Amino acid sequence: MVTTASEVRPPKSANSNANHTAVTGMRWWREVGWRHIVGIVMIIVCVLPLLYVLSASLNPGGTLTGSNQLFREISFDNYSNLAERGFWTWARNSLIVCTVTAVGTVLMGAAAAYAFSRFRFKGRRGSLTGLLLAQMFPQTLAFVAIFLLLLSLGEVFPSLGLNSLLGLICVYLGGALGVNTFLMYGFFNTVPRELDEAAKIDGATHAQIFWTIILRLVTPILAVVGLLSFVSAFGDFLVAKVVLQRPEQYTVAVGLYSWASDERTAPWGLFAAGAVVAAIPVILLFMFLQRYIVGGLTSGSVKG
Amino acid sequence: MSQQTVVTDSAGAPPEPPPSRSRPRGDGISHARNYGRGFWVKVILVALIDAGAVYGILSAVAVSQWGIVAFLVVVLLVVNWVYFSKRALPGKYLFPGLVFLFVYVIFTACYTGYIAFTNYGDGHNSTQADAIAAIQIQNEQRVEGSAAYPITIVSQDGELGFAVVQDGQVEVGTAEQPLEAVDGATASDDKATEVPGWDVLNFAAIAQQQEAIVSLRVPVSDDPADGSLRTQDGSTGYIYQSTMSYDPAAGTMTDSATGTVYTPDDRGSFRAPDGTALTPGWKVNVGFENFTRAFTDSRISGPFISILIWTFVFAILSVLTTFALGLFLAVVFNDPRIRGRKIYRSLLILPYAFPGFLAALVWKGMLNPDFGFINETLLGGANIPWLTDPTLAKVSVLLVNLWLGFPYMFLVCTGALQSIPGDVLESARMDGASAARVQRSIVFPLLMVSVAPLLVSSFAFNFNNFSLIYMLTGGGPNFEGTPIIVGHTDILISMVYSVAFESGVKQYGFASALSILIFIIVGVISWWGFRRTRRLEEL
Amino acid sequence: MRRSIPVVAAALGLALTMSACSSGGSNEGDATPKPTTAETTSAPALSGTLTMWVDETRIDVMKPIVQEFQDETGIKVDLVQKVSGDIRTDFVSQVPTGQGPDVVIGAHDWTGEFVNNGVVAPIELGDKASGFASSAIQAFTYDGKLYGSPYAIENIALVRNNKLLPETKANTFDDLITEGKSADKKYSVVIQQGDAGDAYHLYPLQTSFDAPIFKQAADGSYTNELGLGGENGENFAKYLAKLGKEKVLIATIDGEKAKQAFLDGETPYIVTGPWNTTAFTEAGMDISVLPVPSAGGSEAKPFVGVQGAFISAKSKNPLLANEFVTNFLTTEKVQTELYKAGGRLPALTASADKVDDAVLKGFNEAGATGAPMPSIPEMGAMWAFWGTTEVQIISGQAKDPVKAWDKMVTNMQDAVDGTK
Repeated sequence: MVTTASEVRPPKSANSNANHTAVTGMRWWREVGWRHIVGIVMIIVCVLPLLYVLSASLNPGGTLTGSNQLFREISFDNYSNLAERGFWTWARNSLIVCTVTAVGTVLMGAAAAYAFSRFRFKGRRGSLTGLLLAQMFPQTLAFVAIFLLLLSLGEVFPSLGLNSLLGLICVYLGGALGVNTFLMYGFFNTVPRELDEAAKIDGATHAQIFWTIILRLVTPILAVVGLLSFVSAFGDFLVAKVVLQRPEQYTVAVGLYSWASDERTAPWGLFAAGAVVAAIPVILLFMFLQRYIVGGLTSGSVKG
Repeated sequence: MSQQTVVTDSAGAPPEPPPSRSRPRGDGISHARNYGRGFWVKVILVALIDAGAVYGILSAVAVSQWGIVAFLVVVLLVVNWVYFSKRALPGKYLFPGLVFLFVYVIFTACYTGYIAFTNYGDGHNSTQADAIAAIQIQNEQRVEGSAAYPITIVSQDGELGFAVVQDGQVEVGTAEQPLEAVDGATASDDKATEVPGWDVLNFAAIAQQQEAIVSLRVPVSDDPADGSLRTQDGSTGYIYQSTMSYDPAAGTMTDSATGTVYTPDDRGSFRAPDGTALTPGWKVNVGFENFTRAFTDSRISGPFISILIWTFVFAILSVLTTFALGLFLAVVFNDPRIRGRKIYRSLLILPYAFPGFLAALVWKGMLNPDFGFINETLLGGANIPWLTDPTLAKVSVLLVNLWLGFPYMFLVCTGALQSIPGDVLESARMDGASAARVQRSIVFPLLMVSVAPLLVSSFAFNFNNFSLIYMLTGGGPNFEGTPIIVGHTDILISMVYSVAFESGVKQYGFASALSILIFIIVGVISWWGFRRTRRLEEL
Repeated sequence: MRRSIPVVAAALGLALTMSACSSGGSNEGDATPKPTTAETTSAPALSGTLTMWVDETRIDVMKPIVQEFQDETGIKVDLVQKVSGDIRTDFVSQVPTGQGPDVVIGAHDWTGEFVNNGVVAPIELGDKASGFASSAIQAFTYDGKLYGSPYAIENIALVRNNKLLPETKANTFDDLITEGKSADKKYSVVIQQGDAGDAYHLYPLQTSFDAPIFKQAADGSYTNELGLGGENGENFAKYLAKLGKEKVLIATIDGEKAKQAFLDGETPYIVTGPWNTTAFTEAGMDISVLPVPSAGGSEAKPFVGVQGAFISAKSKNPLLANEFVTNFLTTEKVQTELYKAGGRLPALTASADKVDDAVLKGFNEAGATGAPMPSIPEMGAMWAFWGTTEVQIISGQAKDPVKAWDKMVTNMQDAVDGTK
């Protein structure tokens, strides 16, 4: 079966029924309706704990989980107070760090996955496993090493040292090759090699094949990996608090951690408001990427 | 910036329009040698990296960071070879990611390995020189009943001295020269203002020589037992006696009050013949001691087996439950006939969008046996000991981890389902396979090819999921009366934390050694797991 | 950071040029008044930059003080906000690398760890020391040397909701419980616990059984000998079990729940510290602060916590640091200002005497005889054993309170001995 780039099929969901005719009655319940019930139940489970957070964010004083009486007070003070505590600077820092990290991870991970998928070289299997194993080292103690590393690097390249967003991004990019590579590698393998061969015969370079053929065919997984690395960078505070030592450079996660750090005096209302705001970019990003993740171009052919 | 350039360069060249028809087609000429736009972009990028590396080498030499110099030289050579050689094709795609991997992951792991062979930790956290300085400064005692002297800092040919007023007479001394009366000096308010032959330093000059001034000791008289004058703020001086003196030639510390001689031992401390040690000590290499201690420390070996078993149960069940739920939901919402799919999916990743430690805190509150939302409101005042009963606490930990973890699996599975070619499924259906059968024997195996390695990784992640345990239960409910505080929900890594940090005396060396042992356990299991998943791939 | 260095340098250069101009200009006559004159006449005496670390719980209090210090002395202070959970660890690990600050603001119970690692320099207050509350000086003293300059004192006490109970007659804790019950609310007295226990909040009760954590030497400093073992400690353990059985102490009430319960008027009494009373008064509650009544016959003494400033052993600006820590922070004016901003009792007696806030006075009286929390590095392990055992006794998980207590004492002794 020989396919070429021009023959990529139109978008098609994997296990969709071929006929989209409306179903009704019992059959609807059996095939579609129950899915709504599952969805609603799951959404309740997902949302319930977060109601606490929402309730706390609307309560100017008070505690995070001290009371089961939700929404006893509604006030947006906490939200308007975010600005004076520098929250929006943190949000900006987070967006910069996470966007660059996500893009960098996708590019480097995809490039590596391409190499593993398309080239046969000595130690290929071993290095693929090695990548995964390397990321498994317990990071509980990494802060000592990361601090010293960035301290030394900062003497040579000040922009890669401590207290630098770029320095933090680089630390995150250290994790670019790992699980994500493996995830993409699996997908690259489902793109038939015949496409490459055909393009090569047409005179395309390996770089052109990578950029113009492969990457376009694996958009869903690029979106997934992008989202995953965005979220993990967004939620990380263990590494970030080692690198970023000053409040004006904090990311949202470090900032929130700093608010919750002393439980005795933690401004829980503010903390909750920050967490609610922080969740928005992730949700928006997901909604935006959904159209690539779901119903994106599929490879349209069997592996090999 | 140079590192960032590497990222852009990761694919060798920027996007290009599809190859034009005029190019030679498949005539065996290597594409690396057609000097198109891509090639020149590559040259420019590599040149930029080279420039950055050369700059880095020069500045690293200037600050004597030889490790960085060596690394940059290697990078410089490799980058030029990789991008201009015809043979290093995979390298062109792997190189950028590998650089980051080596610098930020492999290095930190190796550094942890190095710490594991030292006694780095509280009491031994710096060099011997620092320890000597600290011991000396901590053992300087103000002479009891001595006065406070308003002090004037003076200098003569660059040599610093103190001028004080004693019995109406101005006296000056330096580190070499004990205090001595000077004639013709003026003073006001017991503070010398002018001293013939000496320059009185103004504030700016004082601020510039702070460290020298603070470390200056001016003997009060020829007899060292009388003590020496020193100042901490540049304006008031006190008379101190040093009880510990360091002998650089012998490398020993002597207590002048008792005459005890402390000699440095191989554990990084000054130790007296009777065994008492001075604090602080310093960092030294202790060989495999931290590793052997992991096996001989009775505090660890006691609860070790039960914690090891729970760690495995926790990690395996966490993977299975999150994967099962994530996959199930991915399949459920993969049906295009469901209206509002987008909303469902977006809300389902909510637990993933909130910071994890926040979620753990909220769950901890909700699961509180007496006041938590679950017991009080949902179960109408039930009194289920979610976090205080050993077995239920384990169940709670797993459930919360399921809540936290399923969106990841949901995302991955949703993405994976999308890439399963539609025509395979169609042809299966045409062959008359039922929907369930299609799922089981076609979708699932294909899915496993790309997802199975992630499950292994997820296992490894949960094996070391310190933050969840720490935030949710703190390892509790605790065992009763054990010599270290560990509990029924503690996993290996949180037990390491208890042993090495919670005691209040941090032992980085020991903790590093334990981390490495844990890494070996996880690594071996994962390696075995990856070998198994490879078979899936060769389906 | 990177960009700010040239900016600062440029600003300094500019300032120098301008001061040169203005001094030159003044000779020529007063015809052209220069806008910089005001600044240059009060020309800073000292110059340089002092780096100071402070955590988020103290930064709002320190900010104006630091500003004042800058204005008065001309020493530039780089105030860096750190996270309270990490400031200690970071200080210990960063000072040896030369990255740490010159001054760190913190609590006295960090002293042991800092000294043990050689990261702080001793401080000489000279005659000023006598102006401070003796417990404040004692708190920052380790192995006979002073390592911190104290500025505020805090401790826990019994807080009463006057709306629910207008007066307290009880002399013993048992009477207090009876009295609390008469208010007919959900709880009589709330003392926060939580999963890991809270030995700090139970300590007044424990000391009333004459079972302090360590035995004290004649000068009030702690010895290495545990004081909570033996019969006194066992009696306290039995009392805890009793309170647990009577549901006076409830293991699952953590800090949050306790605070909320008091805010909601569910209890007339709570044992807590000044960090919560601000929230109570802000919520419009009428409260009184009293000493915790005795449970075991002796006086109930809470732990006293002292806040102060440490100087890094590797400071590059030791003189500037001392100027701030020993000369500026110790003045009556500054201590009074710190009290006004932070709502904690000043460590300097002259300032403390002027405090007229009833709530703070109440805390002061309740803590008058209290001893500082021990600052030995092993306290981390102590707290863990202590709290865990207490909560196990309260919840009834430990069937035999005396046995559990004795086991705990053994473990604590091992922890103290093990690291020596």
